[in-house]
Order: sequence, then structure tokens, then C-alpha cells
Amino acid sequence: MSTKTVGLDFAKLTLCEALDLAIFVEEEAMDRYGEFADQLEKHRTPSAARFFRFMEKNEAKHRAALAAKRKELFPSTAVTVTREMIFDIEAPEYDEARIFMSLRQALETSLRAEHKARSFFEDALARVSSPEVRALFTELRDEEVEHQALVQREIDKLPPGVEPNPEDYADEPHNQ
Amino acid sequence: MTAPTAKDFKSDLKPIWCPGCGDFGVLQSIYRALAGIGRPAHEIAFVSGIGCSSRIPGYTTAYGFNSVHGRALPIAQGIKMANPDLLVLVAGGDGDGFSIGGGHVAHAVRRNPDLTYIVMDNQIYGLTKGQLSPTSPRGLKTVTSTFGSFEAPVNPLLYVLSYGAGFVAQATPADMAGMTAVIEEAIRYPGFSFVNVQSPCVTYGEEHQQVKAQRAKMKTLASLSHDPSDRMRAFELASHYGEELYTGVFYRNPSPPPTYGALIKERQAELAGGLPRERILESFIQRT
Repeated sequence: MSTKTVGLDFAKLTLCEALDLAIFVEEEAMDRYGEFADQLEKHRTPSAARFFRFMEKNEAKHRAALAAKRKELFPSTAVTVTREMIFDIEAPEYDEARIFMSLRQALETSLRAEHKARSFFEDALARVSSPEVRALFTELRDEEVEHQALVQREIDKLPPGVEPNPEDYADEPHNQ
Repeated sequence: MTAPTAKDFKSDLKPIWCPGCGDFGVLQSIYRALAGIGRPAHEIAFVSGIGCSSRIPGYTTAYGFNSVHGRALPIAQGIKMANPDLLVLVAGGDGDGFSIGGGHVAHAVRRNPDLTYIVMDNQIYGLTKGQLSPTSPRGLKTVTSTFGSFEAPVNPLLYVLSYGAGFVAQATPADMAGMTAVIEEAIRYPGFSFVNVQSPCVTYGEEHQQVKAQRAKMKTLASLSHDPSDRMRAFELASHYGEELYTGVFYRNPSPPPTYGALIKERQAELAGGLPRERILESFIQRT
């Protein structure tokens, strides 16, 4: 079982720290989607790359909104949590990307990531003690639920049909 | 000066590994481990050999040397001797380390320079399109073993343990937090430290070797209540390489011996005040 956070005590988390944590969660997801888009652009998988680029921008917007809120509420409070304390909360795991992955597979990757984020906030809610942090995490969890529904709607819009298997594109090993 | 963050170690060069490659996770863990260490990039040298994983120094902002196949360890030892203040990391694949450079590993271990050797073990030669590597399991079918390999794999963990390495660990990208902690601990160990990362090849690797399968299979050594100072138990656990996926620290010498660099310093101090440098050869001339 892998760990998702290191050195965080949710019971003692203040609102300011919780906001910083949420910003890092969005930032990590933004960076990962950006990396996936780079990888798939390089490996000639354009439709999935375009979707991941879209998701990168989306996460950037979420990050910016949280950062604005943080600035408004705590303009001069120093950041005491670090991004190194979290691991793949909303960011899809590196092994989710595949050469020649279809748009559907990219969307499903994102759906799993949103689901993961929702689970994270749900688990965290059971441990936080501050009512303000609870309110923030509840809001963030509900947003993840909305994002899940959004991604699911996009999946449902895709034309039905047999999905291409990336394995079909791979060269078979041959004797040397 | 503010403490460096993981982002400070990320270079502008974008990795060209296959999407889904285990090495992406290793790279991320190295960034984070270096942030944990807290030394700036210009105090770090990162040396590698040749192979997919050996591209890794270029993706960091540390001084990097993507060197010669199998020769990363001798080069890294030279760098450490020339500039002992540098934090030296060495990386490569299983082929680079245990086949082409196999002879160098033993000597690096016994010299005990203060450097960290990270092997991204994918049990295949990925860059050259899927040939048998020294850690490929017996029976593996590849382009160079159509009917299955006859050879028993090298066990990298037992290899370095038996030569006397003071720090031996294993990690997987299936546990990013665990891998980061192990790499950071390896860097902090004063002496030769070795981390074998089961970093699957997404293109030529087998399904059961992939990160998803590793997530289900891995067992942390901590969950087995393993005491990392118990060298004999470490041997026993390491012997299950290829059957079990144990992660964490197998062995950490509780009394680290002096490093190669420390012994050099000692010798230099002994010789200080002796012959001037230009007459040093005279000490080798036997006089009757």
C-alpha cells in the first residue's frame, strides 16, 4: 500500500495550511497533465495529448482560484507545508500514460484521477478537526465529484465502437 | 538562501522515455529526495552510463555526465576524488551496471566512496529494443532468446551485499513516497549506497512486471519488521529477488566504516610536512 502524504497531521491542519495543500494538489495535477501532453505529443498520440493539455489548463485555473482565495484570506502568512508532502493526489500516476492511447483512454485516466482526489478529500475529512478546514475539504471533494461527472459526460459523448488497442500498433519482437 | 524544492532540480530538457515508463517515477523521486537533502544543484554531480535510464542526469539541473556504457561508477569515483565536496549520484540500468559495467560494481563497493548508485532494473535492454539483460528471468522470451532464456538472472541485491555494501535498498515507482524516502536515506548514508529500483519497461517488459502488478505484489520490509542492521537476514530476504518484491532498506551498516575519501584525507594529513610534491618520487626509491 503506497502512502499519499508524508509529514502531514490532518488533525492539526489550519485553514491556511489546508489552502496551501489544496494549491499543491492542483499544481501537481497541472504539472502531470502537462508532462503527459508533452510525452504524447512527442510520441505522435495527438488526440490524447490535446486532452491532457486541456486538463493542464483546467488544473491551472483551479490552482489560480485557490491561490487567489489564499492571498485574500492570508496575505502575509508564510507557507509551512510543501509540495514534497504529497504524492499523486489528483495527478494521474505516471504509468497511466501509454503511447497511442485513445481519447477515451485519456478521459478514463482523468476520471480515475478525479476519483482518487475525491477519495483523498473524503479520507482527509475523517481526520480534520478544524471546522473551517472541514468546510474547505467538503467543497473541494464536491468539486471533484462535479469534475468526475463532467469527464463522464465527455466519455458518453464519444462514438461507440471498439477501442483500438495500443498493443496493435506495437512492433512485434523479431529475432536478431 | 531558501531551501531548494523538487522543481529546482527539474531541467528544461523533456524526457523522451516511452509514456508509462517506470523511469518517470524514479526521476520524480530523485527530484524530491534532493529537495529533502537541501543542497543546491551546483553542489551535485550526476553520472550515468548508457541506456534509457542513463538519460536521467540530463533531466536534472545538477552537473551531469551521460558517460560511457558501464563506466559510470569509475567516472563518478574520479569526480568524487577530485572534488570531495560534491554530492555524487550515479544511475544506470541493469545491463549497464551488471553486465557491461559488472566488473566495476564490486570495486566501487569495496572502495566505499561516498556516492549513491541507483539502478533502474527493468530486466531487459529496452533502448536497443528488447534483448536479454543480466537480470532477465530464466525462461524469458526476447528477440535474443526466442525459445526462452537458459540463464539464471544476476541478483543485484545479493551482488552488492556480498561485496560489503553498507547500504542496500530496493524501491518501485508503485510506491512513490517509499521510493523517495529510500533514495534520500541512501544519499544520506556516509559511504557507498545502492538502490535497486524495479522500474518496468512499458514497451518490452512483461505484464506482471508493470507498475500496476507491482502495486499488488510489493511488500515493504518494514511491514515484515525487518531490522536493517541485520546483515544475515538482509541476505536471506535479498535472495528472494525475482520471486518477491520487497521494498525498503535491506541493510544499513550501523557503524559505517571510513569512506575512501576519508582515508585519502587521512593519508594526505600523514604525508603533510614530508617531501615536497616535486620530490615525492624519491620516497619510492630504495636506498641501500
